[in-house]
Amino acid sequence: MSQEIKHIISKGLIRLISIAVIVLGFNQIYTSYFLNTDLDNHGPMLLELSHIVDTCDVIYFGESSNFTTHPDDYNTLRISDNIAAKHPNKSFGTINHGAYHVGMFLPLVKQLAMSKPSRTIIVTMNLRTFNQDVIFGPSEANLRLASRFYEPSLPILNKIFASLNHYDNRSGHERDLLKWKAWTYDTLVSHEDSVDFKYNTIRRWCEVPKFLDSAGIQDDAKRQLADQYIKAYAFQIDDSNPMIQEFDELLQVAQQKNIRVVFNLIPENIQDARYYIGENLVWLMQSNRDFLVERYANLGATVVDNLELLPSKHFLDRAVIPQEHYDAKGRELVGLKVADML
Amino acid sequence: MQVTEKTLLFNSVAFFIFLPVVVLLYYFLPQKYRWVVLLAASYFFYGSWKIEFLSLIMFSTLVDFYAAQALHRQKVTWRRNVFLGISLSANLGLLFAFKYLVLFLPSVDPMIANIYTVDHPFLGFLLQGVYFSIPVGISFYTFQTLSYTLDVYHNRIEPEKHLGHFALFVSFFPQLVAGPIERFSRLMPQLKAKHVVSYKRFQQAFRLMLYGFFIKMCIADNLSPLVDAVYDNPSTFTQWSTWFGTFAFGLQIYTDFAGYSLIAQGAALCLGISLMDNFKTPYFSTSIGEFWNRWHISLSTWFRDYVYVPLGGNRVSLLRWVVNILAVFIISGFWHGANYTFLIWGAIHGMLYLVERLINANKRLPQTRFVLLAGGVAIFICVNIAWLFFRIDSLQQVPRHVNALFQTEGVQNLTLSLPIITMLVTFLIAEILTYNSRFDRLLDRYPTVLRWIVYAGLIWCIAAWAGVTNHPFIYFQF
Repeated sequence: MSQEIKHIISKGLIRLISIAVIVLGFNQIYTSYFLNTDLDNHGPMLLELSHIVDTCDVIYFGESSNFTTHPDDYNTLRISDNIAAKHPNKSFGTINHGAYHVGMFLPLVKQLAMSKPSRTIIVTMNLRTFNQDVIFGPSEANLRLASRFYEPSLPILNKIFASLNHYDNRSGHERDLLKWKAWTYDTLVSHEDSVDFKYNTIRRWCEVPKFLDSAGIQDDAKRQLADQYIKAYAFQIDDSNPMIQEFDELLQVAQQKNIRVVFNLIPENIQDARYYIGENLVWLMQSNRDFLVERYANLGATVVDNLELLPSKHFLDRAVIPQEHYDAKGRELVGLKVADML
Repeated sequence: MQVTEKTLLFNSVAFFIFLPVVVLLYYFLPQKYRWVVLLAASYFFYGSWKIEFLSLIMFSTLVDFYAAQALHRQKVTWRRNVFLGISLSANLGLLFAFKYLVLFLPSVDPMIANIYTVDHPFLGFLLQGVYFSIPVGISFYTFQTLSYTLDVYHNRIEPEKHLGHFALFVSFFPQLVAGPIERFSRLMPQLKAKHVVSYKRFQQAFRLMLYGFFIKMCIADNLSPLVDAVYDNPSTFTQWSTWFGTFAFGLQIYTDFAGYSLIAQGAALCLGISLMDNFKTPYFSTSIGEFWNRWHISLSTWFRDYVYVPLGGNRVSLLRWVVNILAVFIISGFWHGANYTFLIWGAIHGMLYLVERLINANKRLPQTRFVLLAGGVAIFICVNIAWLFFRIDSLQQVPRHVNALFQTEGVQNLTLSLPIITMLVTFLIAEILTYNSRFDRLLDRYPTVLRWIVYAGLIWCIAAWAGVTNHPFIYFQF
């Protein structure tokens, strides 16, 4: 080995170690004085979690289904409030943020300390988030930036990784392309005689004319909503679904920390799915539900199956889009069912 | 432009693994295999953007390699011209197809294009390339290979005989996607030379990259959301904020591009290769001519040598000279993209240059401090106002933006956090200190303790205060 190489290795090592020590020191300063500002801007739920983490027996991880209300609602209680009301002897905390899904909940659960024994977490399981429209959704890059800040590593490393865009930061255009690929090539398969997918991809299914009157004129509004239902629910969950992988990991992490996990499989508008599309779509929703319930019950989680709990009238956006926003009664019914399983 | 976390951007975690691996392999392998490592690394680097793009760079490489050899062998002028024509048409054709063809085509809905791409992958790739994801760096490597063919044509250099070496010249990864646009006579001897490991060189490389990352990640990436907000909705901001946002773009594009160039220089220096300086504190220029001697130097010298001089340079009539100057600036504007806004940006610089030269031709101003300072301020203002045309997406936005600059009812204020102000001041001091030097050389003059304070300060800024906007380097789109 030449003298120069030895020189580089010895000096380089000293410098690398020095830089590592400097960064560790910086981590202390960053955590004390700057972290909260960054979390405020990019990952507010970690701050929320830090406020409740030491005091709560039960933490509810939710998205907009938890807190969306309607002006006509007889109360503004969230699903989590309804659960808490049924268990006054337990202290409850809620972490919720619009559009959040298991990808954001997972690093937050990793942050939960093991210090508090016999804790329970209730994690929202939204069937629609397993579909391609969400996985390749336009807001996913921003959500993944937030989850970068939630990772349980040194805060300054999280910041560096965020600055270096080290998260799934694919552009909206690229995600859209991947979504269309999935809609074109992911085929729907049934092994049951009663279910036959004549149109076995989302694209083919959406291309079919719908709601034609006797003169062959289409009801465009209904047609559009029908296609939204196909895009939202015409998929089949399997092990390769990225959300499944994250739910698996979340459960594993929680179990290692001795945390009880309750998955709240929230209601979907089955009634309208049947009306706009028909039994084939309902069959897909139900078989996906069966997959989730069986999988996670076998893995040791409590799965509260609320999929078919609510009739259409409780869905606030039913005239526009399939969305899990419920009226006060809906939120109460969901909350009661989860509360019963606690 | 498609960027994912797997794309080998300089400011990505992947690059921090990629570069050391390449450097280790490079120095551990015998000299005769080193070009293979660099070529493989360069293609891997470029392929990480989109594997299909490699076909374009390979096509350009093959055409120029064989065209240059063929024209060199020919003695008859018209045959030489034919081979030159083949090279020019291939390169400019690529550039036209992927960058300018869109001007002559009807607009396409991105969603429709995506559906078409799914159904017809090959044609879809072309469609995406033409409309939505211009092959990154195409303007840079086509200009680099064009200069090679033209130099061979003019007998300034001998053509390269080794296809692998030539492919490396075209695709050398540190400068592949955004320059500096190197000349064959400067880069190729370095690529072929045997470089030994040198501590001093690594030290220089570290300093260049550190400062490059600082100005890109801390200045450009922090200014980016402010600039975007003002340009997206100028009328909602107060007058002060609109002016600040407009001028901040000048700073953003400079730090973004100069940061990239410094990192490129540092990465190349790790491999023993010295790339040219692309920026020399351009905003301290006291004339527009000086600005262009300090801004994107590799491109301005390219246009000087391969467009301006062949057009006759200044050895022509006054009218012809004026036309030449305007042509060079307008073409250089158009080089940046298929939008009339770039043409206007180039034309403004051309006009400024002409006015300045005409003033100086009549009566050369005394070079007093006051004149230089006034000139510097005037150039700074003019250049930054011209950036407005560079930044906007269409000419329809100009009246809205200009209106907001002079009369606005907006109430929103841009706020600068203390860290951003601190970093801007740090950057200004660094610019003053590097006016006649380069950052790595400047640090040589400092004692060890001071050097480490500088390192620690920059590392702190990068680690704790860097921006988190998802912006690749601005010049990648050109």
